[in-house]
Amino acid sequence: MSKPSDLLQGTLDLLILRTLALGPMHGWAVAARIEQTSQEVLQITQGALYPALHRLEQQGWLRAEWRKTETGRDAKFYALTRAGRAQLEKEVAQWERLSTAVGLVVRMAEE
Amino acid sequence: MHPERWFDIVYLRLRSLLRRGAVERELDRELRFHLDEEIENNVRRGLTPSAARSAALRRLGGVAQIQEECRDMRRTGTIESFLRDLQYAVRTLIKAPAFALVMVLTLALAVGANSAIFSVIDAVLLRPLPYPRADRIVRIFFASRTFPKFPLNPFDLRDIRARNRCFGAIAGMTRVDRQLSAMGRPERLAGFRITAGYFRVLGVSPALGREFTTEDELPGRSNLVILSDRLWRTRFSAEPGIVGRKIMLDAEPFTVAGVMPPVTHPGNEYHSVPDGDTVDVWTPFTYRGDGSDRGSHYMEGIARLRDGVSIAQAQAGMDALVAQLAREHPDNTRGWHPMVVSLYQELVGPSRRMLLVLLGAVGLVLMIACANAANLLLARATARQREIAVRAALGAGRSRLVRQMLAESLVISLAGGALGAVLAIGGVRALALLAPADFPRAAAIHVNGAVFAFTFAIALATGVLFGLAPAMQAARTDLQQVLREGGRGASAGTRQLWLRNALVVGEVSLACVLLAGAGLLLRSFVNMLRADPGFRPQRVLTAAISLPGAKYKTGKDIVGFYDRLNRALGALPGVRAAGIGSDLPWTGYDENFGGITIEGRQPPPGQDYHARYHVATEDYFQALGVPLVRGRFFTPHDNMNGRPVIIVNRAMARYWGDEDPVGRRITFEDHPKDANDWFTVVGVVGDVKDHPNSAAAEPAFWWSVLQNSFDEMSIVVRAETDPAPLVAEVRDAVRALDPDLAVANLKPMDEIAVQSFSRPRFTLFLVALFAALAAALAGIGIYGVVSYSVSRRTQEFGLRMALGANAWDVVRQVMAQGIRLALGGIVLGVAGALVLGRVLWSLLYQVSPSDPLTFAAVAICAMAITALACYVPARRATTADPVTALRME
Repeated sequence: MSKPSDLLQGTLDLLILRTLALGPMHGWAVAARIEQTSQEVLQITQGALYPALHRLEQQGWLRAEWRKTETGRDAKFYALTRAGRAQLEKEVAQWERLSTAVGLVVRMAEE
Repeated sequence: MHPERWFDIVYLRLRSLLRRGAVERELDRELRFHLDEEIENNVRRGLTPSAARSAALRRLGGVAQIQEECRDMRRTGTIESFLRDLQYAVRTLIKAPAFALVMVLTLALAVGANSAIFSVIDAVLLRPLPYPRADRIVRIFFASRTFPKFPLNPFDLRDIRARNRCFGAIAGMTRVDRQLSAMGRPERLAGFRITAGYFRVLGVSPALGREFTTEDELPGRSNLVILSDRLWRTRFSAEPGIVGRKIMLDAEPFTVAGVMPPVTHPGNEYHSVPDGDTVDVWTPFTYRGDGSDRGSHYMEGIARLRDGVSIAQAQAGMDALVAQLAREHPDNTRGWHPMVVSLYQELVGPSRRMLLVLLGAVGLVLMIACANAANLLLARATARQREIAVRAALGAGRSRLVRQMLAESLVISLAGGALGAVLAIGGVRALALLAPADFPRAAAIHVNGAVFAFTFAIALATGVLFGLAPAMQAARTDLQQVLREGGRGASAGTRQLWLRNALVVGEVSLACVLLAGAGLLLRSFVNMLRADPGFRPQRVLTAAISLPGAKYKTGKDIVGFYDRLNRALGALPGVRAAGIGSDLPWTGYDENFGGITIEGRQPPPGQDYHARYHVATEDYFQALGVPLVRGRFFTPHDNMNGRPVIIVNRAMARYWGDEDPVGRRITFEDHPKDANDWFTVVGVVGDVKDHPNSAAAEPAFWWSVLQNSFDEMSIVVRAETDPAPLVAEVRDAVRALDPDLAVANLKPMDEIAVQSFSRPRFTLFLVALFAALAAALAGIGIYGVVSYSVSRRTQEFGLRMALGANAWDVVRQVMAQGIRLALGGIVLGVAGALVLGRVLWSLLYQVSPSDPLTFAAVAICAMAITALACYVPARRATTADPVTALRME
């Protein structure tokens, strides 16, 4: 379904933060992970991914570092900072509240 | 919450800003890696390499777009464009150096003056006093109907110490200077007798030895001394083993109990030590007697509030306690009320009003400078309307234009601020030199970080303030209209003219307020100088001398010494009159006798007869130039063998109403036994006030030195011509009588007189300086508006002249414009000054805050400045050449 531009910016941030909570990874891996976990429903293009990563880094939620991948190539790895972890918790809570609320409304409409 | 987050953010912003190339290259590498990964992934899923590559590229989309978006995320765009704006602003200002110079200089003067005054306020009002938890220290006074602020009786103080629950520590101090005789160099030292716990109140512990305890207050323990750090270092070469050793003070041995670290004297009211002077010796106060007689008051109370106790609570506690004491000692303590004042209030309070007036004055100068700058910028914005319109036409957004204009005003204000800071450093030095001698905490005044922060803040604030109006104006520029106007230079809209006129009117009115303030202060200063001081300070040399009690044990010894000294001084060549007295005029001497009995008279109900008491030799009054009103001066016969006599001043003579006081008697005894308890008035002398700006002279009388001497006295010598050569002669005369005596404070009387005026002079000087600055700025403002309008109307003037108008008509027309503006400003300013004048009230002397003469002078002065400011543009208008003017079309 969703083209990346349909994803609310905040939602993309949440997805990235959540994914990086698993451990440091580079941009491509973040996108691949989100696609895989969402069973290919959520597809993230670079056009949305990198600005988001850079924004999160600039806000101090992520810290980036150049490291070697398993295949021995240089890649920019992103990791959550302590502040980022706190931010993730906040955004998860917010998302859950929102989705519950939306769910309630949708179901009511069906009845 | 997460300080490291802010650290990250700042680091990344700076990096994006300063290492733009590296950041961009990094993004390239990151995207290329992503592409490679994508291709590899596609290959893994079974695509051919070329298909995998094209699929990956398809998915990647526009690289440039991603880069741009990432750049946006770094949010450096605003900063970068701001920096570009600043660069551009600097370039445009350099192209208009005269404009930039006037702006920067006027702002620098205003900002510098503000910073200098702020540094004084910071040091005096804002910085805490130099004691630990200084806000808990209070001063304790007694007050009665006659004496609003008086020292305590030591026994009352001791009872308060024993019974109060409000103070963690409480102590008394009373000034007793000492003469140190060590190594043949007698030196007079400022000293205090203090009760136990004095330094505990201040929160300072001795560096060596110990503080006095209550046992040290017992008779027999009085020969202990605590030395100041300064004395210990300068006279005892900082010897670590000094505690326990004996030193000679007033020709008596004193055992050193302790040495204090450098400690600032908290100030005292009674025989006060000038601010900034060090106190060098503290000796224990000795309680003698049973404390049943509590009539004499000379102890100054100081205390530290117990934690959690407010000043109001302490005052309430003291009220109850003193009421209790008054019941126990109805003869003495009744009629006195305690007064608890914070030490800060006591020290700084009297200067507060004056400093706030100065801050207000200098703040007005800053406002005028702001209005002036805004005015000049507006004029410039009009001249640049075409440039702005072109930029707008080429796509500059409105907010971008506003930012651009603001950048320019910020460059100006920051340059002004930087120059102002330099001026402030010089200004503060000058202020410290000019500051009155009795100014509290003057020694602490210097430029520091807080002052620079203040300077930067006001520079920034003024920049935004005076830049905003022109910037908004520029943003409103009507593109089409300006461009359509073609060859003709842009003209200001009515709205802008209105704003500029309003700014000039505002400037003139603020300047009038300052001129009025300066005028009122000048009038009261002149009044003070003109007021008859009651003595003639010219050609008079003064000195202080103190006889050590160990050597001059009896009254006879003391009287004998002063009698001999008086003769020796009178015999010096070049001396017209020489005298010795307990004190000098205008030095704040206020020893007071309450409850005098006047023979045959009763004081009005609820009042008592009281008077300042002094002693004097026969020629003391002539030496000072105090006139004799009735009767006679003292004679050599007013000695121990003669009947007791006094001389009273006019204020005291009023106690006798219309009767002649000469020949009348007073007594200090409640039950006079014989004729020797009665003092006969032999003369009446003119009044001398406590301070030059005191409302009126206090009642006072003088005993004859030959009948009643003090051990501390002042010498007064009136010279025939120049008193300077007498300095050595006076020293020699004293040394000839007693080589161990120190002669202190040898200085001409006019110096004391000048010092007494230093505070009003300081205020006057600064307010006048600010007023002059304000008037100059307002003049520049009027000049700017009028000369702009003249330049717009060159053509019109040219035509008029061509059609036969003479130069005078044109001048009159131009002047009329300026004078209309000035009149508006003057009316507003005078109204404002009438309202604000009341804050000056306590600083004025015999001038009403609405003094019509001052206000008339202000109006004339403002008119003169206006005329001057309009004259140059008016002259220019008359030289307009119609041909040139028409060609400009």
